[in-house]
Amino acid sequence: MNKLTSFIQNQRQNKPLLLMTHVVYGYPTIEKSLEIMQLMLDNGVEILEVQFPFSDPVADGPTITNACHHALEQNPKLTQCLQDIKKLARQYPQSRVLLMSYLNPLLQPGFTSLAQQMGEDISGIIIPDLSIDHHAMLDPLSNSGIAPIWLITPDMKADRIRKVTEQAQGMLYCVSRSGVTGQKSTDQLSTNQLSTAPKASALENMQGYLNNVRQFTSLPLAVGFGINTAEDISALKGHADVAIVGSAFLNAFNKGGLEAVARKLSELQA
Amino acid sequence: MNDEGRFGQYGGSYIPEILYSSQQQLLKAYRDAMNDAAFIQLVKSEMQTFSGRPTPLTYCANLTKMLGGAQIYLKREDLNHSGAHKMNNVIGQGLLAKRMGKTRIIAETGAGQHGVASAIVAARLGLECTVYMGAHDIERQYPNVFWMKQLGATVVPVTTGAATLKDALDEALRDWSSSYEDTYYLIGTSCGCAPYPEMVAGFQSVIGEEVKEQSTQQFGKYPDRIYACVGGGSNACGIFLPFVGSDAELIGVEAGGRSDAPGDHAMRFHTDQARFGIAQGFATKFLQDEEGQLQPTHSISAGLDYVGVSPILADLEEQGKVRMTSASDIEVMEAFKLLTRHEGVIPALESAHAVAGGLREAAGMSPDQHIVISISGRGDKDIFNIAKALDDEPFTEFLQTYLKEESV
Repeated sequence: MNKLTSFIQNQRQNKPLLLMTHVVYGYPTIEKSLEIMQLMLDNGVEILEVQFPFSDPVADGPTITNACHHALEQNPKLTQCLQDIKKLARQYPQSRVLLMSYLNPLLQPGFTSLAQQMGEDISGIIIPDLSIDHHAMLDPLSNSGIAPIWLITPDMKADRIRKVTEQAQGMLYCVSRSGVTGQKSTDQLSTNQLSTAPKASALENMQGYLNNVRQFTSLPLAVGFGINTAEDISALKGHADVAIVGSAFLNAFNKGGLEAVARKLSELQA
Repeated sequence: MNDEGRFGQYGGSYIPEILYSSQQQLLKAYRDAMNDAAFIQLVKSEMQTFSGRPTPLTYCANLTKMLGGAQIYLKREDLNHSGAHKMNNVIGQGLLAKRMGKTRIIAETGAGQHGVASAIVAARLGLECTVYMGAHDIERQYPNVFWMKQLGATVVPVTTGAATLKDALDEALRDWSSSYEDTYYLIGTSCGCAPYPEMVAGFQSVIGEEVKEQSTQQFGKYPDRIYACVGGGSNACGIFLPFVGSDAELIGVEAGGRSDAPGDHAMRFHTDQARFGIAQGFATKFLQDEEGQLQPTHSISAGLDYVGVSPILADLEEQGKVRMTSASDIEVMEAFKLLTRHEGVIPALESAHAVAGGLREAAGMSPDQHIVISISGRGDKDIFNIAKALDDEPFTEFLQTYLKEESV
């Protein structure tokens, strides 16, 4: 079994839902972004997703896009980013660190070199502009035990979900709705068709979506896009294994720095 | 081309999973439409009765005499409705959107020509229209923004990143990610995920098909050389593709800008600042740094400063079937002045790149050779930038007077 999968399953034995948080490497500075990561890991976040910034992040909403563009002014290097986050992963062996980026920055070293550089310490990779049709490109990573984490979306047909679950390792990243990262909260937690539906049925719809994906796989399900509040998170309990929170932490940081991030963490972990 | 929309190592589809089903729907609808003779006829008829096709092939007697080399002809895409070749594509895709039952179109625009063309077609077909445009481009091309608004389109300024065309494209993709059920993404150039490069180049190929007929009629053969400016590459694809495999030499002219320094030009060929990359849904040659970050570009013409290039052209260049060259901002202004003064044709600054490339080589060719230069658009939209580049003081005075009158 993949190491990330067994980590999540072990953790889940005594926790109803794990928390996966997201940080943009280099925002607002490289040093500060590492402090945010450290703070999250100190507070027992089970999975940390580190986004290496790209100039054209088409799957991200305004909060993360702006953070990426600011981060690029720091001139971040992927090699250094990997060294920095591997170090963190070793300091916090009770948590797991994932890399997220778009294809083009990752193509620069290429996936064979990337697999070597990521080594044992980084458990998985998320690439939002790479679809399952190109899974063979990531063979060097999966051959090294690094899980390519594929996305599942609400309007995916059964044969497409099956295509993903046949290749999937580690866990699945279930996108809660159409659109890009950030923006909406529970009010719009629904698929596109039901975006005007009342909250209760939107939640049922969300839970139905996750239960449907569950039919196809025994891999852990992580849910992201628009998860902001403790309420959002409690709605996922019993239906998912991991809640992914990204833009909400960036928004908190933008408002009140590290302290606000700490407050948001304790709110979500309550 | 195989089913995946690949052109050699370029093209393909690299889009977020959320767009997968809408892309599949588009692929199917496009194939169906292309197999429907009635649809093809509708596109053709609309190009004729609404946009004024065929556009003429115009002989340049004065410049030909002055340079003493090849016979010089212009393909007059500037005479399309809206003043640019962009019309060909929006007619085709607008009718496809309508056929698919979509009620809204979104578009990205650089110079604003594609935005205006999209707004025109939306008004004609009764579709809602949202145009994404870099805030920096809006500053340079406000008259086009003004017309888009008059045509009923919503223009959304994009302030992220470099605030130019590539950022507008990112934003349009983000919109499409949440709106695909009722919205058609009308890409303006032969870039993006499949089937856009093939589809846009296909609708634009009417340009080259007409040149084939017109050149045969007017000088009894195909041209020896054909010149077109290359930003995203849609007018170049349109005039070139029907001639691939013929004896006509195909020359693309990129924006040489102010200098060869990074950020000072928009050349994707003959520079180590551009190389293979995958972004914005497809693989092509992108201007990028060592970390794979897409780089800012510059050109005197907003329509050419795109960071990537059509995968079709990247592949044809690699195969040696298209030759790429460039023209600097200064050369472009010289070419603009020559064509305007001696032939009475005011080209867009984008098209003036093709003029610069063509005139540069025409002198060294023999009088029994013929060249065709694609005038992809007319220069009216560039009046402010051209007046500035030519240091026309009365124009500045005019603007000051205009503002004073406004405030009274």
